Amino acid sequence: MLLELSNLAAGYGSKTTISNITLSLEPGQILALLGHNGAGKTTTLKTIMGLLPARAGTVRFDGSAIDRLNVAERVAAGIRLLPEGRGIFADLNVADNIEVVAAQNVGTQNVAGKPITGAAPMFRPHDIYTLFPVLDERRTTRAGSMSGGQQQMLALGLAILGTPRCLLLDEPSIGLAPNLVERLFAQFHSICKTHGVGAILVEQNVAAALTIADRVVIMNNGQIVFDGLPNEARQANVWDYF
Amino acid sequence: MLWLNLLLNGIVWGCALGMVAVSFSLIFATTRFFHVAHAAVYGLGGYITWSALKHGLPEWAALVVGVAVCAAVGAAIQKLLYERLDRSGATHLVILIASLGLSAVMQNGVAAIYTSNILQFGLPWGNRTTTIGGALLTNTQLLTVVFGLASYAGAMWFAHRTVLGKRMRAVASNPFLAEITRLQPRQVHVAVMAIGSAMVCIPGVLVPLDLGLQPFGGVPILLTATIAVIAGGVGSITGAFLLAVVIAVLQNLSLLIMPGEWSIGITFGIFVIFMLFRPRGLFSS
Repeated sequence: MLLELSNLAAGYGSKTTISNITLSLEPGQILALLGHNGAGKTTTLKTIMGLLPARAGTVRFDGSAIDRLNVAERVAAGIRLLPEGRGIFADLNVADNIEVVAAQNVGTQNVAGKPITGAAPMFRPHDIYTLFPVLDERRTTRAGSMSGGQQQMLALGLAILGTPRCLLLDEPSIGLAPNLVERLFAQFHSICKTHGVGAILVEQNVAAALTIADRVVIMNNGQIVFDGLPNEARQANVWDYF
Repeated sequence: MLWLNLLLNGIVWGCALGMVAVSFSLIFATTRFFHVAHAAVYGLGGYITWSALKHGLPEWAALVVGVAVCAAVGAAIQKLLYERLDRSGATHLVILIASLGLSAVMQNGVAAIYTSNILQFGLPWGNRTTTIGGALLTNTQLLTVVFGLASYAGAMWFAHRTVLGKRMRAVASNPFLAEITRLQPRQVHVAVMAIGSAMVCIPGVLVPLDLGLQPFGGVPILLTATIAVIAGGVGSITGAFLLAVVIAVLQNLSLLIMPGEWSIGITFGIFVIFMLFRPRGLFSS
């Protein structure tokens, strides 16, 4: 198992936003985490990433508890977050965006922070330019001045630089035209399946998410209310939660 | 040729001010902390260099000592004060107050050690003059222009051509993304405080070569430099340096048409009006 959450609880201030979250993710699996605004999806991603401390329960990665690891250590172990909005450095050009993230993420470490010797990075800068040729054409363009679709391609490129093993994507389709969402999701699906990268995809665009998901988890009021296959989700009476 | 002398004096003063503005801009754009104690580091650099000279070091070596001490002090301020406050959830206002307090402690400490009287470097070569188009410039003034332009060029090269400089701009651009892409913003903050503090030591030595050392001399200079940083566009090295030179030249040329006591007020009045029309500054992105 790549990632396991057991009875996880987290929140902000005095309020506990999510509780009893138990789910698992296998390598290469795409898990769509769905639910209305405020259901606790982003809080779950932030807790996995180490941005919020777990109030109860455990996060295990590669079989080891990672609750004590900070954000940088989790990134080094291969957990990557593509945040909501545009996850780019808007004031830098495309090449500098990629160079600066690559410089910090070329090495691969295990969850104990030990370097894995001999392991070549899965995605180097030239792989990103190959995956997204439009970024190659825009190397010297200020990232913040590109179109929304191009910015999101760059954001995905930054998230996978180095050796990602578990991708956490928070609303990657927001503000994108349907044809762009289709292309972006096709690339994302290909990355996960080709390289065995597990992914949790938080999406409001349910139809698009179901086309690439292997499994669907639906949250409501900070708890999991459905966990099953996409076909089961389509047939189940869970859509009142949206 | 009064106007030419005033113009050249303005450019010289602008280069000194530009070094303070660029160093402050690097720190403020990256950390978002209003580092008022930068004025005290500016003053400290001059006194450390003066002490090193009095201990028999040659001028260049004394300056290297001053720069190194300022870099270490800047890094220590970030690591031991700002970072701790930030980790404990202090607001930027609290950090500003802490910085003001630290500035007072450092300046009073310098006054207690060196006295609050004006100290002179007493380097005869500094006062030798060169004539440029009928205007006289001292060696110190020429050196200020050379160091000012070199500091600006160096800061631009560092920010746009080195990996650490790009990392610094990335942290300034999107601190949250910097954290989740392992750019380690806190390490970058320490590095940029060291670099900015090292840079501010240079005007901290060059200005007192002409005017003498005063423990509280950094405060009015930092205030003017801050205006240049904001009017130039926060985060813009070119904006900070250019606006510093423009402010200094305007202050000097205004003496042609008004008494000296009016020049600072009129110059800043112009910039207040300018900010009303361009509140994000001249080179805002």
